[in-house]
Amino acid sequence: MGEIELNIGPVHPATHGVLRLKARVEKDTVLGGDVEIGYLHRAMEKIAEQRLFNSFFPNVDKLEYVSALNWEILYASVLEKALGIDIPPRAKYIRVILAEIQRIMSHLIFIGAFGQDLGNITVFTWALRERELLMDIVEKISGGRLAPMYLRVGGTEYDLPEGFDSMILPVLDRLEEKVNKDYKAVTYENSLFKMRTKGVGVLTRDTVKKYGITGPNMRASGIERDLRRSEPYFVYDSLDFDIPVEDAGDSYARFMVRIREIQESIKILRQAVRALPKGNYINKQPWMFKIPPTEAFVRQECPRGEGAMFLVTDGGMKAYRLKIRSPSFYTVQAMPEIIKGARVADLFTIIASLDPVMGEVDR
Amino acid sequence: MDLERFRERFGDKVKIDKNILTLADKKDLIRVVKFVSKYFDVLYMLIVVHRPPKFELNYIFSRYQDQEIIQIKVEISDKENIASISNIFKSAEWEEREAYDMFGIVFRDHPDLRRILLPEDWPGHPMRKDFVVTEEIKHWTGLDLKF
Repeated sequence: MGEIELNIGPVHPATHGVLRLKARVEKDTVLGGDVEIGYLHRAMEKIAEQRLFNSFFPNVDKLEYVSALNWEILYASVLEKALGIDIPPRAKYIRVILAEIQRIMSHLIFIGAFGQDLGNITVFTWALRERELLMDIVEKISGGRLAPMYLRVGGTEYDLPEGFDSMILPVLDRLEEKVNKDYKAVTYENSLFKMRTKGVGVLTRDTVKKYGITGPNMRASGIERDLRRSEPYFVYDSLDFDIPVEDAGDSYARFMVRIREIQESIKILRQAVRALPKGNYINKQPWMFKIPPTEAFVRQECPRGEGAMFLVTDGGMKAYRLKIRSPSFYTVQAMPEIIKGARVADLFTIIASLDPVMGEVDR
Repeated sequence: MDLERFRERFGDKVKIDKNILTLADKKDLIRVVKFVSKYFDVLYMLIVVHRPPKFELNYIFSRYQDQEIIQIKVEISDKENIASISNIFKSAEWEEREAYDMFGIVFRDHPDLRRILLPEDWPGHPMRKDFVVTEEIKHWTGLDLKF
């Protein structure tokens, strides 16, 4: 039997969105492949040029629907940098809290989806159950669930609700217990899980550097780099947390990095809630404003890697150009190289372990 | 990173302002980018800004050991083409395809220059400032549908 071309997607439950993969397969081995994207392109960058700065916030939510808050924070930050304004300390803490809640939620989705691709429906339902607890908190804070639309230039739309710490601390305790005990039993200490993930889909350090992969996928390949630590923004420099790094670079390492990132995020959240200062939560700006001609470049650590935005303004009330750097875009670009030599049955688990979100890739 | 190295090497061909290098001539791009590749690992972003009648290309390079970034700015006329840097920085391959897709910039010696986000038979390049929404495009995007 010779080489055949196996078409997967664009609409397939295991490709996590609308990714199309054309794999060249011989018997059970993947020889190579080609990736096609663009099926979820919604012209976000063009829309940004046609809307008022503040009116683009709802679109940022839909840009990356699994970690909407992180991208809202990034967009608010790039506007603030272009305007040259500072935000109150309380707003900084609120943003850190929101970013970490969203990071945990995003990683829980990853755990669930990865489990489902391995045929482990248990962990899928568990992960979504725990995510729901955090989802409730986001709903109480902002009124929205998937698309909170909570950030504003200069701070946030509302203050945190009263009794916020008594709301979140029990959830964190429960989450920590679940991740450390229950998830351990069905995933990372489970022998079947290990068989399906260890040594599968190895992402080497060279590939990471060649394609510009960042975030948990990079840290699973033994490169220690985290913008929260090395280029601290908001109040990350005053918080104590570790950067999880694994050396193997396989699916198991990528899973472990995310599990440990959840634990670190819980640690950050506890400190941030304790240290949350009182006072003003927004440096209020008018709804419509102009930004003088300038260029602003901001990058932050999003759940999938380093997200960045480059804003060019011309003195008007709309962006002249907004370029969005999506970390998944670079991960997907490297996919043909990662799947080379894998078994067909592992193909889906490799895609899932890279955790791409197509909304972010296609923009 | 010490940007004086660039001044020594390229003299008045580049203008240096903080970490932004502005090239006077697009012909020097490959030479400068090759020099950049000694110190930087990856093309972090490629930002094209259309200021009719010119394109401004901003290449941002980054490296993994620290947070250093460098931005290279080069201007071309919106009818010209420019050399591809994808044989020096692999991650430029898709970024350049995207720039071709959205702005219609032709990158010479690109291994696989075709549309990436839009369908192959999409008319025109939508991120250009002179892009007009014609009847054909309304039909493509469903704007002419009546409900």
